[in-house]
Amino acid sequence: MEVKILTEHYSDDNYRSLDGYKAKGGYETLKKAFSMKPEDIVAEVKASGLRGRGGAGFPTGVKWGFLPNNGEPRYLLCNADEGEPCTFKDRMMMEKAPHQLIEGMIISAFAIGSHKSYIYIRGEYVYAAKVLEKAIKEAYDAGLLGKNIMGSGFDHDLDVYRGAGAYICGEETGMISSLEGKKGQPKLKPPFPAVQGYLAKPTIVNNVETLAAVIPIIRDGAAAYRKNGTEKSAGTKLFSVAGDVNKPGNYEVPLGYKMIDLINNECGGVKGGKLKAAIPGGTSAPIITAEEIEKATLDYECLAEMGTMLGSGSIVIMNDTRCMVDMMKVISHFYHHESCGQCTPCREGTGWLHKLVTSVITGQAKLTDIDLLCEVANKMKGRTICALSDAAALPVLGIVPKFRDEFEFYIKEGYSKVRGKSHGQMHH
Amino acid sequence: MVKCTINGIDIEVEAGTSVIEAFKQAGQDIAHYCWHPGLSVAGVCRLCMVEIEGNPRLQIACNTQVAEGMKVTNQSEMVKDAVKWGLDFHLINHPLDCPICDQAGECGLQDQYMHFGKYDPEMALSKVKKHKVVDLGERVVLDSERCILCSRCVRFTEEVSKSNELGIFNRGDRSEIGTFDGMPLNNKYSVNTVDICPVGALTSKDFRFRQRVWFLKDKPSVCTGCSTGCNIDVYFNKDGVWRVKPHHSDVNGYWMCDEGRDIYKAVNPITTDFVGERENKKAVKKPNRILSAHSYHDGKMEFISTAETVSSIELGSFSNPALIVTGQYSNEEYDSILGFWKSKAGGKNIFHWQNQPEQWQDFDGLLIRGDKNPNTKGLLASLEKHGLQAQSQLPSMEGFDFVLVLGPENQWVYDNISQVADQVSQAKKVIWLSACHLEKASQMPKHVTFVPAKTFVEKSGSFTNFEGKVQSFAMVDVFVEEALDLQQVTQWFAGERVTASLAHPWQSVHNEFIHERGEL
Repeated sequence: MEVKILTEHYSDDNYRSLDGYKAKGGYETLKKAFSMKPEDIVAEVKASGLRGRGGAGFPTGVKWGFLPNNGEPRYLLCNADEGEPCTFKDRMMMEKAPHQLIEGMIISAFAIGSHKSYIYIRGEYVYAAKVLEKAIKEAYDAGLLGKNIMGSGFDHDLDVYRGAGAYICGEETGMISSLEGKKGQPKLKPPFPAVQGYLAKPTIVNNVETLAAVIPIIRDGAAAYRKNGTEKSAGTKLFSVAGDVNKPGNYEVPLGYKMIDLINNECGGVKGGKLKAAIPGGTSAPIITAEEIEKATLDYECLAEMGTMLGSGSIVIMNDTRCMVDMMKVISHFYHHESCGQCTPCREGTGWLHKLVTSVITGQAKLTDIDLLCEVANKMKGRTICALSDAAALPVLGIVPKFRDEFEFYIKEGYSKVRGKSHGQMHH
Repeated sequence: MVKCTINGIDIEVEAGTSVIEAFKQAGQDIAHYCWHPGLSVAGVCRLCMVEIEGNPRLQIACNTQVAEGMKVTNQSEMVKDAVKWGLDFHLINHPLDCPICDQAGECGLQDQYMHFGKYDPEMALSKVKKHKVVDLGERVVLDSERCILCSRCVRFTEEVSKSNELGIFNRGDRSEIGTFDGMPLNNKYSVNTVDICPVGALTSKDFRFRQRVWFLKDKPSVCTGCSTGCNIDVYFNKDGVWRVKPHHSDVNGYWMCDEGRDIYKAVNPITTDFVGERENKKAVKKPNRILSAHSYHDGKMEFISTAETVSSIELGSFSNPALIVTGQYSNEEYDSILGFWKSKAGGKNIFHWQNQPEQWQDFDGLLIRGDKNPNTKGLLASLEKHGLQAQSQLPSMEGFDFVLVLGPENQWVYDNISQVADQVSQAKKVIWLSACHLEKASQMPKHVTFVPAKTFVEKSGSFTNFEGKVQSFAMVDVFVEEALDLQQVTQWFAGERVTASLAHPWQSVHNEFIHERGEL
């Protein structure tokens, strides 16, 4: 069952204007937040069990608690560089409810004592950026941003910063580099952004959905928020479902919801064939097979146990006409294209993986290359500054062992086991 | 101080030391490319992996600080495997063109592969094609395919030269070092990027294709390019000196300027490239050094015995002798000649020939100083020690019956040299000590005799730099056998004749292996 907490009013077109948003109780929570102490807001978010919705799933309240008390200015950055393939939930949130994000950001900024924040938005999201800019102007005009917001004495400025289409700028330190005007490359940690982030000042980076989720937590309290979800994965989450389903789209369901139910109920079942596999959390997450999908629940713990992850919550469903070698090629091409090139294992490894998979399709591969593919992926894991190297390696370590027969068949016979000699349908 | 254990060796290091520095202090080998002690930490090559007790994940040693009681190793199987694969990732797109690469013999990839790698390569697919022979600037050439993107050169232009010419363009395995449009790598320290490049990606236009490094020996010395006195290593073989590189010291850190790299050109008996003729694409082989005493008669060179020329001078027989000194000789030499001048000529008529003294206080904030003499301080100290006065203005020389000119070794920094030559030739008899031929020497009258002087690599002694620091240097090798230092000149003036054998300027090029061959 869909539980619409964040997306409750998304069907209302007027919701993206300030008036429409206010008509549905918008900015009431901000008023409540100003009546609270900042540390109580942080405590409430901590108590809610809210975990980062961008992919890593790190507890938000704990992250906020890392800020040092050194009197330096603090920055709040909203990560709206939604680059994980097949993820499109933040886009909808920003297009449908820009004021929801703005309100969530002001509350969060108040909680952590930040007077300046940026929304770093993916360059391709031109429309969403326009909607946000318009909403920010409305908010400034209504005294919801700027000096002395709602008479609370709290000042806050908010700007939209558009990226230029690099996946790596969705990594928080890569995003900070980009925002600083440098090449968007992740930074060495330590120091962590909470200590030295944007302009070497304490910085908190949160995903769009995370910041929006602060509103119901403060409005209804942590206990009410926890009514949905599981003990360790509290609340609801948006899932972007794509691929071979009848009704692809964004669905808000409580964490812990059964994956097969989401496919069959909300998404109207598998299209064009039998369910074969799914990628549960963006292409960086290892694939799971149809049998595993039956058992999977949509929460951080269950998917981690299965050796994959919830990630950004984008689910790609594949039916039995999909060739996994093709799929692997598309995925490895993406990471080859997007590696920033800073760390050697990732820079060289992503290209190597892509070439190895391509060689399977072009008939140049040997059977031993299947093991080499896994070996290269294994050696790229956990050896770099950021997680892109892991993101490139994990799909290989998921797809290749689980569908090894398809790779062996392709190498031996020279054509796909699944689609025969016909050309693949998947292009990038 | 912090106690830690590196590969089982207990050492104490200063608080804040990185693990990689602790490895160096403990004398332990550790693979690395991007880390350089003179630059910030990039942490991108991912080779300096270490295992820290209690931490399941490998850490990079360059970005980890030593903590009290930390037990670190790079000898575990996990680390060795990570380093082996790290090297493999570096090499899969490397062209492996060592036979034609100038870096071969001093290449980080070769050395570290022999040390930490030695595996069978598994990359059987086509390599990434990148730009080759990229002209980055006046002195540096780039081969992007050899580049391992350690970013040392980029960080150098950011942090040391602060000129920011270099950047990494594109991303992933298409990344390449490059310069911005209209902003070539022409800063005054550009060749340092060649020194710190661990592979053959950046090569020096001056040195490339000239010598294989295993035919060269190196000895430490001091740069004569200006009063800073950067410590250098001189790379030479029996045919001459081929390059100088900075040697780490308190004076110059890890760097030296590009101008300083030209000083070796005053040393070689035959050079293929004269300073100032860089535009001339044809390499010209010219005898550069003065090989024996000579004078010119109607433009024709007439050789005279160096020994006879010098020892025939009886200083006491001249009624009005003069001495012209430059700041390019060693303290020991000044001591000897000035002492002699005081006793035999009463210490009169000493002139300090200065090149653009109005710029002597200039300093670019890093290493380059306006005083282009290595030992002005030493000269002044020696004059003071002997109680002598030197005039800084050269008067008309007509009234002098003998002038001894201690000419500059690096002539190109003396822009008034031909003017001084004209002035000096007005005297009745002139002996001009010089390492290299003067440009207008052939127009000089017959009573001007040129005597070959030793260069800084051919003698031992000391220079006093701008801050009064006395830095001694040892002889590297002799390239012109008849050349004299000032102690010898003094001895010969005093009648202590020392025979000098003839020089052999036109030695045939014959290379020899200096180092033993490594494992093949």
